[in-house]
Amino acid sequence: MTVKFNNRDPVYVQVIQHFKEQIAKGYFEPGQEIPSRRELANQLKINPNTAQRAYKEMGEQGLIFTEGNMPSCITKDEAVLKSVREELIIEAVDLFLGSIKSIDVPLSEVLEIVKKKHDAESGEAEGSK
Amino acid sequence: MIEVKNVEKKYGKKRVLKGLSFTAEKGEITCLIGINGVGKTTIMKAIMALTPINSGEILIDGEKIRKESFEKITFIPDTITMLPQMKICEAFAFMADFYKNWDSKRADELLQFFKLDSTERIANLSKGNMAKVNMILGLALNVDYLLMDEPFSGIDIFSREQIAEVFTSHLIEDRGVIITTHEISDIEHLIDRAVLIDNGEVLKEFSVEEVREKEGKSVVDVMREVYRG
Repeated sequence: MTVKFNNRDPVYVQVIQHFKEQIAKGYFEPGQEIPSRRELANQLKINPNTAQRAYKEMGEQGLIFTEGNMPSCITKDEAVLKSVREELIIEAVDLFLGSIKSIDVPLSEVLEIVKKKHDAESGEAEGSK
Repeated sequence: MIEVKNVEKKYGKKRVLKGLSFTAEKGEITCLIGINGVGKTTIMKAIMALTPINSGEILIDGEKIRKESFEKITFIPDTITMLPQMKICEAFAFMADFYKNWDSKRADELLQFFKLDSTERIANLSKGNMAKVNMILGLALNVDYLLMDEPFSGIDIFSREQIAEVFTSHLIEDRGVIITTHEISDIEHLIDRAVLIDNGEVLKEFSVEEVREKEGKSVVDVMREVYRG
């Protein structure tokens, strides 16, 4: 697990974002055990305090849960898991819309290009297999 | 907590520290940032009572430094202070003789982590490896506070990465660390607090995550504002 951090967003926020992406991709399964705070700090090369902060926040958001002295686990709550995926998609779309807006192109033209590009890329991925 | 309060230090007529104050908490990494010659090393020497101060006060957990404090706080200077003809294992034995808190198990762990051979003579080590041995001499002491002077300066990128990795591990956890640097980029993600110093004064002291969160600024952004704005 390696993450490239930017310098302007809080590191703990970027760690949470990373977890959300892994959850949405299915890399983390519901109920799966996650690294301890110390292991996470070591893997991501971050300060243990930052790892602690990220886990605390994720606990409050219901993304992870801890029972007693057991290691923390990814939530099994279907509603939360679904909303993580939706949230990431909407975030990406918003970002895309933001940058396309400044170029001022009609939506239909944009969508066509998006589709073409997407097909070409997944075709490439197929071809390389 | 280490409290530096209104410290003044003169070398001859030159005022090196001009009423400088800041605090460093246990369990946090505090980074003193400033270009060469602003007084960073002098502050560390003052905290360790290696150089007398002209006025002001320095407290460690509310107490002035005394003989017993050196089992609680240690200083890793920017060059190794062991005799060059010593082997690494002899330097370790030297530390064990002088400090009750020397943890030889941890020293061996660190040797392995840095892939060093304890029978090597210090004089024969590369600059990077010498810096690593120097780090071990401080890290293997079970102290609450660690002061490190420019641990990254003048060594290769892989050694820097290895040393930075120490900061993410249990070796540092729960201790209070003060580190000086003029090259922040290696450790921007690792520190808790930054203290910007210029000309013997603190220009700004802040929590790096808080500044990212509230202002969307990196440490370098803040430095640019403070030093050039």
